[in-house]
Amino acid sequence: MADPYKPRAAFAPWDRRELPGIFSVEDSARRVGNYKWLEMRLFESLGGWVATVPELDVKLVLGRHCYHHAWHAELMDKRLPELREMDTDRLCEAPNPEMEAFVEALREPEAPEHTIEKLVGVFRVLLPRKIAAYTYHLNGTSRITDSPTQRSLGFMLQDEFEDWREGEMLLQSLIETPEEVDRATRRQAELEKLILAAGGISGPGSLGPIVATEGASL
Amino acid sequence: MRKQLPPDMLARDSRFVRTSIMDQVMDPRNQKIGERDLGSARLQPERPAAADRARNLMHGIFTGEIQALEGAGRTTFDFDDDEAPFALKLDMARQCWDESRHVEISVKLGDWMGTEIGEYSEAVFLYEAACAPDPVLRLCGVNRALEGLAIDVFNTMKEFGDSSGDPVLEFCEDWMLADEVTHVKMGSDWLRRMTKDDPERLEKALEFQRTVDKLFSLGGFRGETEDNPIQLARNFRSMAGFSTDEIDEIAELAAQAKRDAEALVAGSS
Amino acid sequence: MSVTLIPAEFTLVKFDADEVRAIIDRTIAEVSFPADVDVTIEVDEVLPHPLTASVVEIVDGAAKLWFTGGCFESPQRQTGLSPDNTRVELGAGLLRAKDRLVGGFENAPADEELDERQRTIWDAYAEGRLAALGYPVRVQRRRYTFRLYGGFNDLADAEFERLWSGASLTWDELATMADALAEADTRPERKKSIRKESLRRIAPV
Repeated sequence: MADPYKPRAAFAPWDRRELPGIFSVEDSARRVGNYKWLEMRLFESLGGWVATVPELDVKLVLGRHCYHHAWHAELMDKRLPELREMDTDRLCEAPNPEMEAFVEALREPEAPEHTIEKLVGVFRVLLPRKIAAYTYHLNGTSRITDSPTQRSLGFMLQDEFEDWREGEMLLQSLIETPEEVDRATRRQAELEKLILAAGGISGPGSLGPIVATEGASL
Repeated sequence: MRKQLPPDMLARDSRFVRTSIMDQVMDPRNQKIGERDLGSARLQPERPAAADRARNLMHGIFTGEIQALEGAGRTTFDFDDDEAPFALKLDMARQCWDESRHVEISVKLGDWMGTEIGEYSEAVFLYEAACAPDPVLRLCGVNRALEGLAIDVFNTMKEFGDSSGDPVLEFCEDWMLADEVTHVKMGSDWLRRMTKDDPERLEKALEFQRTVDKLFSLGGFRGETEDNPIQLARNFRSMAGFSTDEIDEIAELAAQAKRDAEALVAGSS
Repeated sequence: MSVTLIPAEFTLVKFDADEVRAIIDRTIAEVSFPADVDVTIEVDEVLPHPLTASVVEIVDGAAKLWFTGGCFESPQRQTGLSPDNTRVELGAGLLRAKDRLVGGFENAPADEELDERQRTIWDAYAEGRLAALGYPVRVQRRRYTFRLYGGFNDLADAEFERLWSGASLTWDELATMADALAEADTRPERKKSIRKESLRRIAPV
């Protein structure tokens, strides 16, 4: 049996976690606040849309996904005080007015004939943006100092990937004609332009520095 | 998307046919059937047409779950952050998932029992309880009245599954019953928290619940006698946070609803 | 052959008596009902869906069929007629009447003396034949009813498939099946049954 008192390294050879990360406490908190705000707006929209979509399978999926995003909001809400933000409402905000405008446009469709528009907004525009921003945060923050955020983002990303796949499959099953392809792409383009103007789900820098200079090491 | 979606805007596919509660109340057969002695109205395998009655009820559960899903979903959306606490919205989102699963279970049970989606007409009076503009009233209407009715219905169906030896029905209803007890408890807890310092709002909410509970008793549909197909599930209601006095009150409201319906039928003859 | 519909006109439900008569005529032809037998179809329009029940009797060589209004009613439109349900219920009733008329069912008790298991078996046998004729029957609906009264077990499922396959059977074979199902049924003995047919007994004459 190995000597239990023999000194061993704190980090096993396969544990490659490093310090520091690219986010300060404040940076991480600001993003977490943006995420909470967005997840709230998203679960509210999905919950509201449940009654407006006639397709039974879509109705049930929206009901299920509504809870996924509510849980994400709850995870982010619980993380905020741990990032020194005791007023969890203060940072629960859109990163900029452009993001507010995007969300407003995202949740605008109501008519029962507009299921494609509703789903395109969520599954072809917003979820890919969320996956991108969460992945950037997950990869960039310190796996030691900000591990709790990382852990939550990991859970959230798992939902996002699975929900995206399910939503995309629903869309592919709903789009049956060239005209509906046009509707979907038109809707996607409208919303892409709005979220582009917002700079992503946590504003400019959602995926990293806006301008990368030669030799910069981040 | 607007806040407050009226019941006539609930979206359904072409299989669904809507009916109004007045169609049932004003059915000319009501008085005549009252003259017949049909015996116990309880849903039991020994009763006449038990299979078709169970299928009918199963479809009612299915559409009721859709409306409960829609009601919970609308509560996440209809109220701004200053009107409904964040934690309340989280609970409603959780309820959305639960109701969504209940719809799925109901569809599977419908398949098992030979019921087709849309086979029976749908009345939207359950969703109507989810249209109150005050979130506290809505909680009373949905979580305490509607979900309370669900406890009674699921318990009745569970007992039917048990007494008929149907392993699938009994299993599914028992699981759904567990969720409904949670939802009712959720409503009871939020009612207390949100009206802690506002007795007037509490009384208004409870009055709304009484109205809805009476409506949900549907002229004798629910109660504690052999005349009631759906039996009041006292033990599960108690588990969900209803006091004995509150359950007694619902029992009395149900009896009153039956008397009212009988008077209405007598008056229309 | 004479065909009589009672009542001649419906007053409590929105059934068009001419439409019902047309369905009766069509169904009589489709199930090859004996051409020389008079038929009376009585509909108790007071009893709504889902109170479905029927009674078949052969009286002095004539077929008398009694149905609750619920058998013909549309579950989607209160007091409205469902032509599909009407065809199936009528077809099943006429096939059971035909069974009693053409032989092989001489030993069958009167409908109101059948126990639930026997009646359920006969109903499944009738609907299976309607399925073969292309009627809009719903196999899972009938299978659930069969399980409810025959038992939720493999034997009941196998016997249901035999009935549904359209094999030609006699009352004695159906009765033997009922006995076998009773033996295989491990559920506790129920309270004394109030059969579907009791709905007719409470009907005012």
